Amino acid sequence: MATTTAAKTRTEILISGFGGQGVIRMGQILGLCAIKQGHRVTMLKSHGTETRGGYVRAQLVISPEYVDSPVVEHADVFVAFSAPAYKKFYDCCSGRILYDPELVETIRADAPERHVAVPATALAKARFNNVLFANMIMLGALTRLAGLDYEAMKRAMLEVIPRFHEQNLAAMDVGYDLPVPV
Amino acid sequence: MNKLAAKYLRPSQIPTKACHGCGIGMIENWILQAIDELGLKQEDVVFGTGIGCVGRQTFATWGGDNFGATHGRALAVATGLKLAQPDKKYLIVVGDGDAAAIGTSHLIHAARRNLGVVVICEDNMGYESTGGQFSPTTPAGYVTNSSPYGMVEPSFDPCDVVKAAGATFVAETTATQWHQTVKIVKRALQNDGFSFVHVRFPCNENFGAYALGTRDTLKNLEWIYEHTQGRKADGGATDFVWETGIKHDASNSRPEFTKLLRDMNARVRAERTAAGAR
Amino acid sequence: MATITRARVAEGLVAPWVEWERRCPKGRRLLEAGTYALTEGAIAAGCRVFAGYPITPATDIAEYMSKRLPQVGGYYMQCEDELAGMHACAGASLGGLKAMTATSGPGYTLMHDAYGWALTNEIPLVVVDAMRVGPISGITGAPGQGEFYVARYCTHGGNFETIVLSPSSVQEAFWLTIDAFNLSERFRTPVTILTDQVVSDMWEDLFLPDADEHLDFVVPRKHNLMMPFYPLGGADLDVPPNIIGRGTGVCVSAYTHTEEGYDIEEMEAQWAQTYRLVNKIRHHRDQLSRYETIGLEDADVVAVAYGADARTVKTAVLEARRQGLRAGFVRPITLWPFLDELYERDCHYVVCELNYDGQLVREVMRAAPDRAKVHFMGKSAELHTVAEVVAGLQGVARAGRIPELPYIWTEVR
Repeated sequence: MATTTAAKTRTEILISGFGGQGVIRMGQILGLCAIKQGHRVTMLKSHGTETRGGYVRAQLVISPEYVDSPVVEHADVFVAFSAPAYKKFYDCCSGRILYDPELVETIRADAPERHVAVPATALAKARFNNVLFANMIMLGALTRLAGLDYEAMKRAMLEVIPRFHEQNLAAMDVGYDLPVPV
Repeated sequence: MNKLAAKYLRPSQIPTKACHGCGIGMIENWILQAIDELGLKQEDVVFGTGIGCVGRQTFATWGGDNFGATHGRALAVATGLKLAQPDKKYLIVVGDGDAAAIGTSHLIHAARRNLGVVVICEDNMGYESTGGQFSPTTPAGYVTNSSPYGMVEPSFDPCDVVKAAGATFVAETTATQWHQTVKIVKRALQNDGFSFVHVRFPCNENFGAYALGTRDTLKNLEWIYEHTQGRKADGGATDFVWETGIKHDASNSRPEFTKLLRDMNARVRAERTAAGAR
Repeated sequence: MATITRARVAEGLVAPWVEWERRCPKGRRLLEAGTYALTEGAIAAGCRVFAGYPITPATDIAEYMSKRLPQVGGYYMQCEDELAGMHACAGASLGGLKAMTATSGPGYTLMHDAYGWALTNEIPLVVVDAMRVGPISGITGAPGQGEFYVARYCTHGGNFETIVLSPSSVQEAFWLTIDAFNLSERFRTPVTILTDQVVSDMWEDLFLPDADEHLDFVVPRKHNLMMPFYPLGGADLDVPPNIIGRGTGVCVSAYTHTEEGYDIEEMEAQWAQTYRLVNKIRHHRDQLSRYETIGLEDADVVAVAYGADARTVKTAVLEARRQGLRAGFVRPITLWPFLDELYERDCHYVVCELNYDGQLVREVMRAAPDRAKVHFMGKSAELHTVAEVVAGLQGVARAGRIPELPYIWTEVR
């Protein structure tokens, strides 16, 4: 995994969007996959009150050593699933930003090379006729981009998500097979 | 000490600290008679109480295991105890403050759950140990040390409350009705569920002195008796009437609360064993 | 009063679970929340009753308990309020079952009545307070550290000591819950686990040891079947708790009591009872030391924090040391009785807390040498960031003060 933060061993991942998009589920799968591979993991989840349309955020830190600070201050990867989340947490990221162009319509001009558009929502609608699979498409894309063990990630997904295994696996494949700039 | 007291109570704690003419000792004696007639032993019964006249006067008098909870919480403690020691009888002897004021929510929910305890609410119609203030069971209009112009609030009947909440045995009696009280307490102890017994008794020192204008024990008892009959000694009608006797008896008609939990546990464990779970 | 001996402060983590971990090689590694770890820790410690009232962020403990307890022959009870919850736990414990309740600040304040009753009657049980930011309801999903003193003075009337422990990770929450149950049995007293919204809601890798049999370091429940029910005046540990329902004739009440448990209004009885309550803890402080330190031998500036906040503060201390600063770190795990011996170094202390009041800092001021300077860095509703604490440590080392930072209350004492 990419490590660009001060503490050399840490990898920080920040995922944020609206409630109901499966942000926490995605973090849970990433975290469990890392644990299965012998890493230490923390995941902070926070949300504004759902009735106000607030954000949901998962902050993951993955490290071979015990993780002290669980706070993501310099994300290596930031997954933006909504325009408000993109705006709110942009400054917490010093690495790659995966964004869904249907939900984050305009991106900041200052660092185009750090941005990767993953049309997860559009693909979920087109391929599965259901936006709920967007998070698994994004997870597939993230696995590819971060160079993670794809088979291990699929096993972690099967352990975390109780139902719709075939469709979720297919959705991960869609994301994993997207052309991603290296 | 009489024979029943010698058999069931703790000699070192008798006599209690009760005031002269207090009805608490008499009612406790009647409760002992009920226990004795049912053939219960000291170790069969856990005695719980609260704070106030009834709490202070009855705590540690029982020869078996005793607890005196914080004010109003005797039933909350008893709920936990009953989970751990389901085979005991629980006599929760509390006052009108414990049962009908500070601890009412626990009373309602113990009734709703059908917790297997007997609550004896010994009601002296006010907070007498703190010097005679009105309580939710003080008759409306009566003068106490915190209602010098007459109590303006309506009073409430805890029997109605626990019946509505689901109690399986509800009865009302007074310190002027010996045989009825013994019979009621026996029936209450035979219900494997929530039993509520409301017993009014006189306080000479405060309620008697301020609401009724007399510290005379007999006059105070007479005033209570008149209100159970609706008729004064002089033949006139009383200002209100207390209906006494068994008000609701659905004894053993639905499962006791902790039994429900034990049955659920047995079901959960059987299902897990069947499913081969660790 | 007898003099209280102070233990030598060790480097690293000092807690019984350092040894327990070595004794438990086999188990499962999971990604789970702090609430899950608190629940599983309680189950492993032999907890068989949970009685409480749901409240964010402790609700998940209630939910996990409702699922787990029936599986192990225990009882989950959802009470009408927190008063009922903790009193029912005390009742269950008196009946011989280990019990726990869990709440947050608004419910914790409602438990003071029951806390005092359990404490006076020496009834073992465990209370979890997952602190959120206040006052009062505050923000339900944001962390706070407002109950540092409330947990110490958890009931009225004075004349008592309390045991309060605070975990800073999901794994530690698991071990510490077992520890809390053990201490509550050994000291015959309620123990508070003072955690916070971050530790309870955070997901983290969690090692759950296999416990087909009981873990051998769990202190089992014993029953005191005879007089004296209350060893008044003494400071003995490991006195078996009293039990109701076995016909011992025990008396348990809210009053000052004799050794039989009878209510009494004599000063000698009052003194004997309260000497027991304070001395059983004061005389055994050596059994209650749990803490973590870094760099105390050479530190010019020592950062102090507990709970989740200690996580970012520790990272900041390591970062400051990397930058060449002689920074140290103290994380008290036992909050009460307060571990004065951790603050004997004559240096600068930077105390980080999730409140603007300055609670922990007052105790550090009291414990630290007269010439030491104690700085307060209070933040509300969010963990300190690493960057903020590094700036604070650097500011103190270079200029003797914490620089101005947005929404951070700083003060030198």
